[in-house]
Amino acid sequence: MTRRRVLSLLAASFVAPRLALGAVPLRLAAVDWAMLETAIALGNTPVAACEVKGFRRDAVTPVLPPDIVDLGLRGAPNFELMQIVRPDLILSSPYYVRHLARMEPIAPVLTLPFFVPGEAPLPKAMAALTELGARIGADPAPALAAAEAEFAAARDRLAPVADRPVYLVNIGDSRHFRAFGADSLFGNVLERAGLTNAWADRTRFAFTASVPIEALAARPEARIVVIGAPPVQTEAELRRSVLWNHLPAVAERRLHRLPEISPFGGILAARRFATELVHALGAA
Amino acid sequence: MIRALPFFLAAGVAAALWVHAALTLVPLSDWPAWPFDPDTMTLPQILLAFGQMPRGVVALLVGAALGLSGAVLQAVLRNPAADPTTLGISSGAQLAVVVATIFAPGVLDGGRWPVALAGAGIAAGLVVALGARRAFAPVTMVIAGLLVGLTAASLSTAITLAQGEYLLTLVMWNSGSLVQQDWSTVRGLAAVLAVCAVGAALLARPLRVLSLGEGASALGLNVAGVRLAVIGLAVWLAASVTAAVGLVVFVGLAAPAIARAAGARRHGQVLLVAPLAGALLLSLCDGAVLWVAGAGGEMFPTGAVTGLIGGPLLLWLTMRMRVTVPPQRDGGGAVPRLSRPLPVLALLAGALALAVLALIWVGRVPGGWVVLDAQSFADFLPTRLPRLAAAGAAGAILALAGAILQRMTANPLASPEVLGVSGGASLGFALVVFLVAQPTAGGLLAGTMAGGAVVLAVVGALALRAGATPERLLLAGIALSSLASAVLSAMMSLGDARSWKVLEWLGGSSAAVTPTGAGALCILAVVALALALAMTRWLAVMPLGDGVAGALGLPLRRVRLALILLAGFGTGAATLLVGPLSFVGLMAPHIARRSGFARPAGHLAGSALIGALLMILSDFGARMATFPYELPLGLFASLIGAPYLVWLILRRHA
Repeated sequence: MTRRRVLSLLAASFVAPRLALGAVPLRLAAVDWAMLETAIALGNTPVAACEVKGFRRDAVTPVLPPDIVDLGLRGAPNFELMQIVRPDLILSSPYYVRHLARMEPIAPVLTLPFFVPGEAPLPKAMAALTELGARIGADPAPALAAAEAEFAAARDRLAPVADRPVYLVNIGDSRHFRAFGADSLFGNVLERAGLTNAWADRTRFAFTASVPIEALAARPEARIVVIGAPPVQTEAELRRSVLWNHLPAVAERRLHRLPEISPFGGILAARRFATELVHALGAA
Repeated sequence: MIRALPFFLAAGVAAALWVHAALTLVPLSDWPAWPFDPDTMTLPQILLAFGQMPRGVVALLVGAALGLSGAVLQAVLRNPAADPTTLGISSGAQLAVVVATIFAPGVLDGGRWPVALAGAGIAAGLVVALGARRAFAPVTMVIAGLLVGLTAASLSTAITLAQGEYLLTLVMWNSGSLVQQDWSTVRGLAAVLAVCAVGAALLARPLRVLSLGEGASALGLNVAGVRLAVIGLAVWLAASVTAAVGLVVFVGLAAPAIARAAGARRHGQVLLVAPLAGALLLSLCDGAVLWVAGAGGEMFPTGAVTGLIGGPLLLWLTMRMRVTVPPQRDGGGAVPRLSRPLPVLALLAGALALAVLALIWVGRVPGGWVVLDAQSFADFLPTRLPRLAAAGAAGAILALAGAILQRMTANPLASPEVLGVSGGASLGFALVVFLVAQPTAGGLLAGTMAGGAVVLAVVGALALRAGATPERLLLAGIALSSLASAVLSAMMSLGDARSWKVLEWLGGSSAAVTPTGAGALCILAVVALALALAMTRWLAVMPLGDGVAGALGLPLRRVRLALILLAGFGTGAATLLVGPLSFVGLMAPHIARRSGFARPAGHLAGSALIGALLMILSDFGARMATFPYELPLGLFASLIGAPYLVWLILRRHA
């Protein structure tokens, strides 16, 4: 992204979107990652998004175009850059209400909830497709149908392994993990795929659920699915750990690893999780 | 005579709590036989033998190590408020591990211990070097230690904030969880504790001689050598604990206090009883944590729970501590004096205006720097001006508060950060985030102001108590800040999206400031400056000491209250924008003093202008350094302020 390109973007933005709203797709700027995915699923890739670097590392897919403008941290977006980009609509979520006063003068803001403690996020992600689609004039039907088809396919493929419940975890350090429960995106997809979540508790889903590793022994018959790679030094510590190695799932090789998937993503993260789950468990 | 009964009682309760947890896990008839062979054991047996059992032992070892560390530190520094937490040692170790985790994880392959030891050593060396310049004056040591500790902790937080990937590890580990899954931590800690116990026994006699003070070297003692050995021992103990289980705060402070309260008088007794007290204290805390967890409650890391005891304890100690620091005539004849400060003030104001103009015009876009044309200038003015104005106003307010506090206490290390108002404000913010499902900006503002005001009331009440000297006031402020940060870390370890919000704010971004907010801050800055200028006569007299001030007819208690209220409310408002830490309140008054603003009026105005300038430059730096990723304003200001603090104290008396 060169300065020349920014300036041409800037110049173009004066003319283009204001001429014909129906013909030209709206220019979107996404602060929230779930909203970013929802827009991409609807076929309108935002021209700018927050933490592009982090998204490419932690969410991996969908692959963002190389010329997308990085708006900086989600917690502290670069409003000046957002202003330069001149979006027609800013995509946000209730996490970022405190930025509303700064964003509203730049462009209208669409705020949709995805993650509310105790509530299932997958239906909200589906509803967001419809709602955002209505707002930007895109048809949500193909994206909804693709997701439903993906979940149905996963259900078929995973039927042979539906006998055991599954722990969905993310390893924090060698003594603690965070568990994805019924109010997590992954937990919802797991249910749609016909599997039982071994973690009956509510998710303390954000960034530190201080659950000791031993809690994974509560359902000895379960499988453990680890989402994302643990920190470097943790791998070595886990190999040495007596408790970890004697967890039934680890000792009996019912441990499965998934690549990085955005835990706070939208419909595309849900589909990515379904794909990777089939990939990891389908052969089991 | 040492009262033993409380110790037996505590040991009984701790043992009962542990046995209760263990029996819940495995009935006694099924307990595995020694030696443990995990391959033949059932899972509950493994949990008992490799989880519950080492956990109980680790609690004892960690408590004993911290108790010993605190006891020897207090003996060598002759300071009842010294411990690994108040001297910044634990935070140094923590910062080193955080930095290594993020920037060079390969270094951690050899374990956390060497890294933690290096960090703890650097922090301790820094604090001791600072203290040595002031003949290890207790209050100065603790203030310097806590400032170094706060800086390290804020850097850890800011680095954590910038790296979502490692967040879980860092936060968990920071809060001192005692969960175990094998015996390796026990073996490592036991070895360190054994070596250090022998070392402490050997050093006990020289330590007793050292307690004679000036006479020690006359008796032929190598004072510097003994001090170095003892401090080295304490650092090693604290760093080992930090490396093994994370931050367990204040046990090192509490254990020797308990030992003394139980009747230990001589140095040898305290060295013996303090580790015991520490071990029992931590075991009790851990037992209580297990009890609550067993009853289906939230799981708190034990290290966070001890922090909740530590703050009040430090407060209590503060009130009982003999404070014998004479008023310091800061700088004396060495500092230049301006005979006519007005032209220099005008020059500073001009520089400020120039900086604002220049920084509005210059900016970055992806791929390079741009100077705005007329059209873009008009576009950006409404967003850049409030931000710069707010930053400048916050800097001016903090600097004013710092200048007032430094003059009032005659302590050059006083600053709004140590008054505790920032800590209280953070706590208010966190409470709103945790109690209200989706808090509005107004709700957060109210919570933050309320939190600051409550702390202000407490500090004010302490100030009104007869015999409360300014030094005591500073220590009380520090104790309240520590308590606030302990509560915060306990809240954060509950772990969900709300914790993220708190962490985000702690970083202190100025991005979300509105024109209204900026305007309000500017008005506040002007009002604060006017009020402060109205108090110049008091501020001229107070550094001369209470005796002189009282003799001149100053109503000391009311004057102090008025000054504290002004400094406190100002700090609370600025904290909203900047976050709890910046050090501008410390730096600006010093720079003003060194520039020759000796009289109160010039000093106040000069401090305010310099503070505004520093904060505006910090804001620019925070926005440009890692464009488009904006750094927290408070962090960037701290990065300038912390080295300045170190330089300042090192060159005093040099």
